Amino acid sequence: MAEAPSTTETAPHFSLFREVRDRPLIFLSGKGGVGKTTVTQAMALAFANRGLRTLWIAFEDPLQPPGKLQRIANNLWHFNCEPAHAFEEYTSSRIGVPQLTRIFLRNKLVRYLSQASPGIRELMMIGKVWNDRAHYDRVVVDMPSTGYALAMFQSPKNFSRLFHSGPLHHDAVKMDETFGDPRETGHIILSLPEEMPLQESLDLEGHLHALYPNNPPAFMVNRMLPEDLTKPMTSITPSEWPTPYASSLEDFARKRQTLENYNLRLWRDQKLEFETLPHLEASRENSFFAIVGRLAETLQARLI
Amino acid sequence: MNLDQILDQRKIIVTCGTGGVGKTTVSAALALRSALRGYKTLVITIDPAKRLVTSLGLKELGDKPTDLTPLLANLKLSSGMKPGGSLHALMPDTRTTFENFVNNLSSDPTVAERVMRNPIYQIFAKEFSGTNEFMALERLWSLWNQGEYDRIILDTPPSRNTLTFLEAPKLLGRFFDENFIRWLVLPTNKLVSETMKRALSILEKLTGTGFMSSLFDFANALFEIRARFSANLKRIMELLGSENVGFLMITTPTPEAVPEVSLFIDNLKKNHFQFDGMTLNRTLSHLHADASGKSAPETDAIAVIRSLQNRETYVIERLKKEGIPICATLPELARDIHSLEDLAHVAMALVPDSPI
Repeated sequence: MAEAPSTTETAPHFSLFREVRDRPLIFLSGKGGVGKTTVTQAMALAFANRGLRTLWIAFEDPLQPPGKLQRIANNLWHFNCEPAHAFEEYTSSRIGVPQLTRIFLRNKLVRYLSQASPGIRELMMIGKVWNDRAHYDRVVVDMPSTGYALAMFQSPKNFSRLFHSGPLHHDAVKMDETFGDPRETGHIILSLPEEMPLQESLDLEGHLHALYPNNPPAFMVNRMLPEDLTKPMTSITPSEWPTPYASSLEDFARKRQTLENYNLRLWRDQKLEFETLPHLEASRENSFFAIVGRLAETLQARLI
Repeated sequence: MNLDQILDQRKIIVTCGTGGVGKTTVSAALALRSALRGYKTLVITIDPAKRLVTSLGLKELGDKPTDLTPLLANLKLSSGMKPGGSLHALMPDTRTTFENFVNNLSSDPTVAERVMRNPIYQIFAKEFSGTNEFMALERLWSLWNQGEYDRIILDTPPSRNTLTFLEAPKLLGRFFDENFIRWLVLPTNKLVSETMKRALSILEKLTGTGFMSSLFDFANALFEIRARFSANLKRIMELLGSENVGFLMITTPTPEAVPEVSLFIDNLKKNHFQFDGMTLNRTLSHLHADASGKSAPETDAIAVIRSLQNRETYVIERLKKEGIPICATLPELARDIHSLEDLAHVAMALVPDSPI
C-alpha cells in the first residue's frame, strides 16, 4: 500500500488539446455524469465568441424538443439530434425524387425497419453530424455516455460491412474516414478526478484507438477543486482513512484535494497529458448558464 | 416512506438513474441493509466497478448468485444481523447476452444457429438496443419465479437517461412486432401491394445487393421465436406493475434532477409501475464549517463546496415544492468504497436515525 508518489508533478499545461481545438468537428466523450453537456456548450460558446459559426449537437435530450435547431447565442446554434428525424432527412436526400421519398417513408415496413433495426438509429444520428458539419465553421458534439458513444462510432464501420454497395455503403465508408482523420476531426475524452471515470477513460481510449488509430484523443479533467500543486503529496493513501465519510467541511475539502491528486496517478502513470477545468458551481437555477459562461472564458483563454 | 419501510413493503426494488450518480454503490448498500434486517437478499448488479467487486472480497462476480453472507460475520456492527438474513450477488454476463437471449427463446437449436450465422446478427450481436435491459429483466423474472429470495434488488444498466431502462423492452418488442415481421417473411413475389414492392426496391437500391436477402433470412429466423418473446415480455411487465415491485430513482442534487425525476415519474405512471421515491446521493449539506482553511487553495476549495451546498438546498426546496418524495439523502463520500466495512457505512447512512 506504500505506492504513493513522493511529490506532485505539476499538471502539464500543453497537451493535444491545442491541436484538437482547431479541427472543424469535435467529439467530446466520457462516462455519464462527468459534465459533457456543460463543457461542450462552453467550448461551443467560446468558438462562437471568437466569431466562428458554431453548431452544438446533443443526442436525444429528453428535456429538449426532438430534431429542433435553435439559435441560442450570436453565431451559436443548438441541435437536439433524434433518429427518426435524421432518417427522414437522410433518405430524402439520397432518394432525391420527392414522390418516391414519400412512398418510401410512408411505408409501414420501412418505418418498422428504421425504428427496430439494430444500429440504424446510431448510424442516422452520427450521419446527421457528419452531414451538417459542412454548414458550420465548428461542430461540437456532446456524445452520450461511453457505451452508447462507442456504438455510434462503431456504426459506420458495421454498416459499411453490412451493405456491400450502394449509397449507404459509400456514405458509411466516408464517415468512418472523416472521424479517423486528424485534419477533420478531434476527439476529446472528458473525465472527473475520480477513480471510475479516470479508469473508464483509459478503456475508452483503447476502443477509440482501435477505431481510429491515426487520430489520438486529447484528455481533459473536469471539476478539479482548487489545489496547491506545489504541496508535497501526503504519503497516506485514501484507503487508510478510517471511514469513507468526512467529519467537517474542511476535512472534506482537504480529503478531496488529496484524493483527486491521488486518483490522477492513473493517468500520470500512463504519461498522459491532460487539461484541467476548474470546479465551477453557482447556487441558483441559472447556475448552468453561469457555469457555461465562466467555463467558456476559461476555455477561450486556451483556444486563442 | 424511508428505505426500511420500502424494504419491508416491496419484494423487488428496481434502482434507476443516469451514469455517475452512484447507483451501483447505493444498490449494494441497500442489499446489505436488507440482509442485515433479516431478509434473504439478492442484488443483481450490472458491470460494477472492479473496486466494488474486490471490496466484497471477490475476484469477480459470476452469472450465478454468489453467497456473501460469510463475509458479513467480520463486520463490526452495533447490533448483529437479524436471523434469516443473507446476502447474495449476481452479475449477468452481458457479453453473451443476445446469444443467451436467442437460445432461451428458441425451442429448437437449429433456429438459434440460423440467427447466429446471419451477417446482421454477427455484426450487431452486441448492439441490439434494449437487449441488456431485457435480459436483466428476464433474469429477474426467473429468479423471482424460483422463489428463493425474500428480496431482490435490481441495479439497472447504466443508461443515457433514466427513461432508457423503461423504454428498452418496448424498443426490442417493436423488433419482434408480428405484423411487421410477417411482411419480411413473405417472398417478394407474393407481395400484393404495389407500393410495398416499390418501397422494398428503393430500400434495395439504398443498401446495395446482398443486404435484403440477409434481412429476409434474419426475419425468418426471428419469426420462429417471436411468440415466446411476446409472452415473456408480457409476464415481465405484469410483474413490474405488481405491488411486489417498487422503483427508486437515484440522482445527485443538481438542478437537472428536478425535471428528470418528474419525467421519470410520469413514465412510471404510464406503465402502471410504482414509484417509491428518489434517493439523493452525493449530498454535502450535512458538512459544517469549523474553520476557513489553512491555505489559499484550501479556502478556495471550501468556497466551491459552500456554493454546492447552496445549490443543493435550492434543489431540495424545488423537489419538495413539486411534491417529489425523497426516501433517502446520502452524504458524498470523501473517498471510494474499499471494503465491506465501508459499504456498511453507506448502508447505515441510508436510514440515518435508525441503526441496523
